[in-house]
Amino acid sequence: MVNYIFDGTFDGLMTVIYEAYYSHQHPNDIFSEINHQINFLGHDVFVSTDIDKSNKVQHAIETKISNKALRNIYYAYLSELESSYMLIYRYIRLGFKIGKKIDYFIQNDIVHEVTKLSQKVRHEAYKMIELIRFKEVKKGLFIAKIHPDYNVLPIIMPHFAERFQDQYFIIHDEKRNLSAVYDKKAWIITDIPLQDISNMKDTEDYEILWKMYHKSISIEERKNLRLQRQHMPKKYWDMLTEKQ
Amino acid sequence: MDLLKKIRILADAAKYDVSCSSSGSDRENKNSGIGNASFYGICHSWSEDGRCISLLKILFTNICIYNCSYCVNRCSNDVERALFTPEELADITINFYRRNYIEGLFLSSAVYKSPDYTMELLIKTVKKLREEYNFNGYIHLKAIPGADVNLIRLAGLYADRMSVNIELPSEKSLKLLAPQKTKESIIKPMSFIHNQLMEKSESKKLMRRTDKFVPAGQTTQLIIGATPESDRTILKLSENLYKYYDLKRVYYSAYIPVFNDNNILGMTSPPLLREHRLYQADWLLRYYNFKADELLTEEEPNFDVSLDPKINWAMKNLNLFPVEVNTADYNMLLRVPGIGLRTANRIVKARKAAYLNYDSLKKLGVVLKRAKYFITCNGKYYGECEIETDKIKNKLLPKRNVIEGQLSIFDIDNTLNNLPIIV
Repeated sequence: MVNYIFDGTFDGLMTVIYEAYYSHQHPNDIFSEINHQINFLGHDVFVSTDIDKSNKVQHAIETKISNKALRNIYYAYLSELESSYMLIYRYIRLGFKIGKKIDYFIQNDIVHEVTKLSQKVRHEAYKMIELIRFKEVKKGLFIAKIHPDYNVLPIIMPHFAERFQDQYFIIHDEKRNLSAVYDKKAWIITDIPLQDISNMKDTEDYEILWKMYHKSISIEERKNLRLQRQHMPKKYWDMLTEKQ
Repeated sequence: MDLLKKIRILADAAKYDVSCSSSGSDRENKNSGIGNASFYGICHSWSEDGRCISLLKILFTNICIYNCSYCVNRCSNDVERALFTPEELADITINFYRRNYIEGLFLSSAVYKSPDYTMELLIKTVKKLREEYNFNGYIHLKAIPGADVNLIRLAGLYADRMSVNIELPSEKSLKLLAPQKTKESIIKPMSFIHNQLMEKSESKKLMRRTDKFVPAGQTTQLIIGATPESDRTILKLSENLYKYYDLKRVYYSAYIPVFNDNNILGMTSPPLLREHRLYQADWLLRYYNFKADELLTEEEPNFDVSLDPKINWAMKNLNLFPVEVNTADYNMLLRVPGIGLRTANRIVKARKAAYLNYDSLKKLGVVLKRAKYFITCNGKYYGECEIETDKIKNKLLPKRNVIEGQLSIFDIDNTLNNLPIIV
């Protein structure tokens, strides 16, 4: 029984899976080195990320289990919960045993946990797609700030890159200090700090128009603030132009 | 007049139109332009009444030649009036869209000068958006009753969805409250759009590429409670609209008294709960294979508002229950209160992998609070009372009798939670 330590990347986690399988050393636990304190009692194994091995594992998951399983694994990983790594390991083991059937084996606790976690991450990604607000900080450059519970930038970027093909934009994750940058051709996620992002302002007046629209479209006789909060949780209000 | 004022007046005047959906179209972002449409629709905000804001829902103008008494924009009403230009509207749409405020535009209008003239203004706006701004986001256009069919055809080439609002659920009520509109002027554009859609789907079989014509189909809206029609009349009308005109949605709008008028029943607050029950029944028609006649009879033409329509139906058909979740067929599962579309799907799949026990039902998304009275699991009944109407009803009725304000779909009926996102 060993503890596997990896660099925190998805490829790193997949490499751990590879090593655990081929060395026949079942993990006691799996840690990301970002959070892990070296434990003198246990037996720690540092796994260095290997893209080839990662690709092999991902390919095996896709062919021997299913595409849906691979997506569940990736989304569960993006939750960044320390407990998710072992959960993912157990899920993959089960998947290699029972195959595609895992997709509807929801009665099983491991499958249920992974599915639930994956759903939570997907749900928050969807909320971001709905609620992100861009500001045009310079002619033709749009910036949005977010602080999601989970690391959803990689999930939402394809959506915005497809949609805003003709504009430069940046989505900045304040919690993780990551910025997703799109240059009208492709997007990347980087941790290079942005300048002066704290007090950026929209250079045009559309925010005022939007607030007016938001107020006018509501029907007073049907007022229901609870329902509004249910769809637009308060923790995201600081992102919303109409709530400022 | 400045833009801020125009938005205030013309958004306010558009707010009684219920539809704000952006689903049903998968228009791509071509030529590296701006925008695309998401097939499942995306909401971007919620207003203080809890309704979703997906589109910039606005009138081109509220200056109207008609005098329909249910309508706030009627010409004899003393309200502020405003009129956009196509340039202004296109510019606001694009700039809201770039900031991720909206999914597209829902453009409607009062009848300004004439139906044809108004329709031309709407077309000019969307043409500008599509051709000058290279905009591929969602556009919902109102077909102005009485406008020339050639204009409606042209509009349909730019729009993702079109709608003609029936508003009043019978011809008699229409004559009473909107004497200048006729049934003919509403049904004509509706059936024209329907025929065009059928023609397009025919020509798709023959040609490799055809122009898109309202790919997200057409919808309509009915006002609830301004006139005395029963739930049954309304639901039968909807059923026929789905059947004969292939509508994507019928929206129901609880009537909100806009001012005192002799024509309108003395009402104070909008019948929100009734509206909610009609929506639930509408869902049962479209996704659960129910018929209007099964839900409401001539003897009982209105819903018992204290229970949702599916439970209402189950109560009247207790002889069909309980059903065994491990063996019941899909269609019967769908009819169990507390089991929705997605849950029924999951059950059918999951029981292939292993026998379902009572605990696993919760993981699959069954709302046991309601379902337990109507199912058995491995032969065991968990309802804790006999299968009799009164006893079950007693357990199902909410503790509080008064429910105020607009209801949240998710509180009242979790089965709706399991639907694809259609807003």
